[in-house]
Amino acid sequence: MRILKLLLLVVVLGTGTATTIMYSGIVNVAADEPHSDFVYWLLEETRESSIKKAAQNIKVPDLEDPEMLLMGGTDYEFMCSSCHLKPGQSESDMSIGLYPAPPNLTLSNEEHVGHEHENDEQASRKSFWVIKHGIKASAMPAWGKTHDDERIWAMVAFIKRLPTLTQEQYQILTAVE
Amino acid sequence: MKTVLIKTLTKKVTKIALVLIPALTLSMTATAHDPSMHVKKAEKADCSKMDHSKMDMKDPVAMAMMKKCMKQAEKSKGQMDHSKMDKNMDHSTMKKIDDKISENEQHNH
Repeated sequence: MRILKLLLLVVVLGTGTATTIMYSGIVNVAADEPHSDFVYWLLEETRESSIKKAAQNIKVPDLEDPEMLLMGGTDYEFMCSSCHLKPGQSESDMSIGLYPAPPNLTLSNEEHVGHEHENDEQASRKSFWVIKHGIKASAMPAWGKTHDDERIWAMVAFIKRLPTLTQEQYQILTAVE
Repeated sequence: MKTVLIKTLTKKVTKIALVLIPALTLSMTATAHDPSMHVKKAEKADCSKMDHSKMDMKDPVAMAMMKKCMKQAEKSKGQMDHSKMDKNMDHSTMKKIDDKISENEQHNH
C-alpha cells in the first residue's frame, strides 16, 4: 500500500512538473538559441538510432547509372541545395538560420565532424529513408509524399557523387533540359 | 562654460553614433541578403566548360555530362522548325546579309 502511494505521488508530481514546464513558457523554442549539450546529444542519438533501425532492411539499387545522376541532379538543385549547399558554397541563409543546421552534403562522409562514419551502402540507405520520410521538427520534409522511390533513389545517387563534383560539373548535371 | 558645451556635444555625438552604427549595420545585412539571391533560375547546361581531355569516359559523372550536353545540342538544333517557317522567305539574300555582317565585323576590328 505504501509503495502504491509513493508511486502515485511520483506520477502526480511528474505530471505536475511536466505540465508546469509546458504551460509556463519557460522553454525557449527559438532556433537562434542552441540546445544545451546534453539535450542536443539526447535528440541526436535518438534521431540517429531511429533512422538506423528504420533503414536497415532497405535494398540499395545500382546507383551508378548516369541517367540517375541527371534526374537526381535537377531535383537536388531545386529541392535540396538551398539548405544542403552546392560545390563552391560554404553557407546559405537556410544553412545559417536552420537549427539543427542541415548537413553540408558537398562534404564527404569522412569530412563530417562528430558523426559516425558509415559505409557507402549504409549511407545510401540512410539518405533514402531521410529523403523519403523526412525528420520531425527539423525542417527536413518527407519528399516521399510527392516523389516516387525511383526519383528518390536518383537523388541518393546524385548526393553520393556530390562531394566529388566541381562547380562546372554540378552546373551541367543540375541544369534543366 | 566651455567644458559644459564639450560635454553636451560629446553626449550628442555618442547618441547619434549609437543610433547610426546599428542602423547602418542592419541596412548592410539587408542588402547582403537581397531577395533576388533566393530566386532559382532554370539555367541551361554550360557545356563550353567541359574539358574532354580530363574526363574518364567510364565514369558515370562524365557519361551523364556527355548525355546532358548532347541532348541539349540536339534540342537546340531541333528548335529551328523549318516546316513552320515562312515559305516566302528569300534564301538568296541570306548569304549576302551574312557576308555584310562579317565585313562590318572585320572593319570594326
